[in-house]
Amino acid sequence: MTQLVVQSVVKRFGKQTVLNAFDLEVAKGEFVALLGPSGCGKSTLLRIIAGLETPSSGDIVINGRVVTGLPPEMRNIALMFQSYALLPHLSVLENVRFPLRMRSQASRAEQERRAHDALALVQLDQFTERYPRQLSGGQQQRVALARSIVAEPDLLLLDEPLSNLDARLREDMQIELKRLHETLGLTTIFVTHDQDEALALADTVILMNGGRVEQRGAPEELYGQPRTEFAADFLGGANILELEVVRRGDVLMGLFPEGSEVELQKSDGLEPGARKFMLRKEAISLAPDTEMATLAASIETQNYLGSQTRSLVRAGGLALVAVTDPVSAKSKARDLRIGWRPKDLIPLTS
Amino acid sequence: MTAATPGFVKLLSITFVLAIAVYMLVPLIVVIASSLSTSQFLVFPPPGFSLRWYTEVFNSDAYLSAGWTSLKLALFTVAASVALGTPAAIALSRFRFPGRSFLSAIFLSPLLLPSLIFAIGLLIVFSRYGDGPSLTGLVIGHTVITLPYVIRTVSANLIDMDPHLDEAARIMGARWWQRYLLVILPQCRTGMAAGAFFAFNISFDDAVIALFMRAPNVETLPMRIYSTLEFSPDPSVAAVSTIMILLTIFMVLLLDRIFGLSKIA
Amino acid sequence: MASASRSTNREPAFLLTPGLFFLIIAFFFPTFLLLAQSVLTVGPDAGELTLEHYQKAFADSFYAGVAFRTLRLALLITLICLLIGFPLAIIISRASRIVRSLLILMIVLPLMTSVVIRTFGWLVILGQGGVLSWVLQALGLVDGTVSLMRTEAGIVIAMVQVLLPFMVLTTLGNLNQMSPSLEEAARVMGAGFFRSIWHVTLPMSAPGLASGAVLVFALSISSFITPSLVGGVRLPVIASSIYQQMTGSFDWGFGAALSVLLLGATLVLMVPYLIATGRLGGRS
Repeated sequence: MTQLVVQSVVKRFGKQTVLNAFDLEVAKGEFVALLGPSGCGKSTLLRIIAGLETPSSGDIVINGRVVTGLPPEMRNIALMFQSYALLPHLSVLENVRFPLRMRSQASRAEQERRAHDALALVQLDQFTERYPRQLSGGQQQRVALARSIVAEPDLLLLDEPLSNLDARLREDMQIELKRLHETLGLTTIFVTHDQDEALALADTVILMNGGRVEQRGAPEELYGQPRTEFAADFLGGANILELEVVRRGDVLMGLFPEGSEVELQKSDGLEPGARKFMLRKEAISLAPDTEMATLAASIETQNYLGSQTRSLVRAGGLALVAVTDPVSAKSKARDLRIGWRPKDLIPLTS
Repeated sequence: MTAATPGFVKLLSITFVLAIAVYMLVPLIVVIASSLSTSQFLVFPPPGFSLRWYTEVFNSDAYLSAGWTSLKLALFTVAASVALGTPAAIALSRFRFPGRSFLSAIFLSPLLLPSLIFAIGLLIVFSRYGDGPSLTGLVIGHTVITLPYVIRTVSANLIDMDPHLDEAARIMGARWWQRYLLVILPQCRTGMAAGAFFAFNISFDDAVIALFMRAPNVETLPMRIYSTLEFSPDPSVAAVSTIMILLTIFMVLLLDRIFGLSKIA
Repeated sequence: MASASRSTNREPAFLLTPGLFFLIIAFFFPTFLLLAQSVLTVGPDAGELTLEHYQKAFADSFYAGVAFRTLRLALLITLICLLIGFPLAIIISRASRIVRSLLILMIVLPLMTSVVIRTFGWLVILGQGGVLSWVLQALGLVDGTVSLMRTEAGIVIAMVQVLLPFMVLTTLGNLNQMSPSLEEAARVMGAGFFRSIWHVTLPMSAPGLASGAVLVFALSISSFITPSLVGGVRLPVIASSIYQQMTGSFDWGFGAALSVLLLGATLVLMVPYLIATGRLGGRS
């Protein structure tokens, strides 16, 4: 069942087109991440879904109802702001009760009970009488979360939900958000510029670039099979290799600038000619086995990172970054052979 | 934000704002219009257009000497106010010391006291301990009421200043006078300029302190306008007022240029 | 090292002394003298402690009437400034950059123009054969001329124009600190446009509205140029009575006593306000 449809939405601010005929469908209960660099249109899209901005053209359908012209208060959605937007003059309980109060759902006592329940769900029910400024950042965030789920919205929108937290709290909140989603099954869309967050939380990641969908898919798919250089680079970062594809009898080979060749895995649309490839840093091995394509290389420098070691190697006339376990990286001679499985060298469309 | 504002509210807002604009600006516009009238009397609509009242103003010794007095008064006030206010603002915004917020309140307190009350006190002082009100008395009075403005604008300016500039200057070997002359004062320039504009404007426009501190031979433009209005208003008052309005417009635009009007709010 | 920190400690004292010295002599001392003057005798046996000036102020029903008029007008002016100033500040805070600058200019330009000149404008508008009369006649609403000169309505109309900028600027300062996402959050949570203003914007801008109201009230009970010129001698307010005592009848003791009463009225309002803001103390 489809919970949200975004139908060829265009948004222009003056001459600038922020969203360009954007289409999106979100199923009931899905957890979707809108991922992209700043200025890609993800926040604007979220605000259009919420009703805080009007699209220049196109439609928004929530739960089978066209809501394009409706103001935000008529949409039965929840939005958690990046700044949390807790009302400073209201207590924690009053903040959480606010959506129920505005929508006149149930009696006052019932509203308070539900606000309590929502706060209990985020483990904050002991702070009901405090004011937002008396809470820590992480606690404020939980209040904002409770306030977002209390009215059982058709759609839960989260704007950069974790960006104001430090690294430790962010990890806790990721677990919390995932748990809440599993408990309540709310259709959730969240905007983020942080690829780790998107990969950790979402069922579906929508990578946006310049007002369009760059690629959409499950986290594993996006990370493992990026289609473009942008996708490869934005998700995790990768070595981008520009090779000449040449035919050697039955097989296709990748020709490095300095003349060495590696075997390429067959794939659709891979033709002889210049082509860009992606090679994940962790796909490079400093101790290749027999199933790998190998190449003579020299290590230029290494950084020890604790659980990993990062090596800058020069191979075939290109500079590559390899991330390996510290043990295999240590005691390596300056000159060595590096290798990777042919399937890890992924051709990109430009 | 605009997207979520209902259409009729927008329409209502535009009507409301236009009405307020008329209300706020009409008093200035009618003064300007009256100054261009051919008539002896202040009637509407003016029967014809003429510049005779401007000629009259520029040939009137009373207006010219009042203008000169106002100008002198405002310039002396600016000098005194900036000279006293800038160091105080530097101390209040660049240093942490016990009693700082109390002193800050002391320096801003002339804003809280109605200037009428302060003017009477000043009148008593000058009559009891001096030869009565004088231009000096007016300069002192105006310096008191303009000082808070200079302190505010300079402080606002200094808050934006990188606190390490001063320390960097020290490490680079600057002596105290070099730090003030070459590092701190240049940082206060726009604040001092804005404070000076406020001080000039307040002093040049003030009638309250001037009327209480009325000295036999000292008459400022606002005093002259006030007494003319009390007895026999004619379009030459409108001409003088128009010149003062134009000066104000010029100063407001200049202030916007150097400081940004939105910061006043 | 030690000498450096000692010189740092001396710096603020050095910087503050001239200004502080000036304020003590030119501001606090005169204000103190005014307070003293209100309880001292004048004339041949000058300098004796007395309450006669206050007795005179309270005994004379004329001054009770003047005080009552002053307070009534000030309350009305403050109320109208609140009612106009709050929506205007909201509109300004939400306007686009260019419109906002124009609106601020529309507020600041009259503010920076001398009160004498603005009042002059109102004399031309409100007077016999003035702009208002002309417009009303042209619209066929009245026959013959109308004049609001020497009426309380005229004083209120002119005074609101003079004092509205203070209300708008203080409220605007408050609104500018408020994050727009608060109102947006209220809308998303189901509050309509007006309810979000009532439940979010109004409580959030209460400190600004309160300080604006206190400022307008204080300025309005102590202003005398506009009430004297528009209201004339038949509608005296406290400030114009004080002016009359100080520069006309030269009864300084009585003038000082009236001033202290005026100051008292201001403080009665200021002190609860300062306490309240001290307690609320916070913004977002």
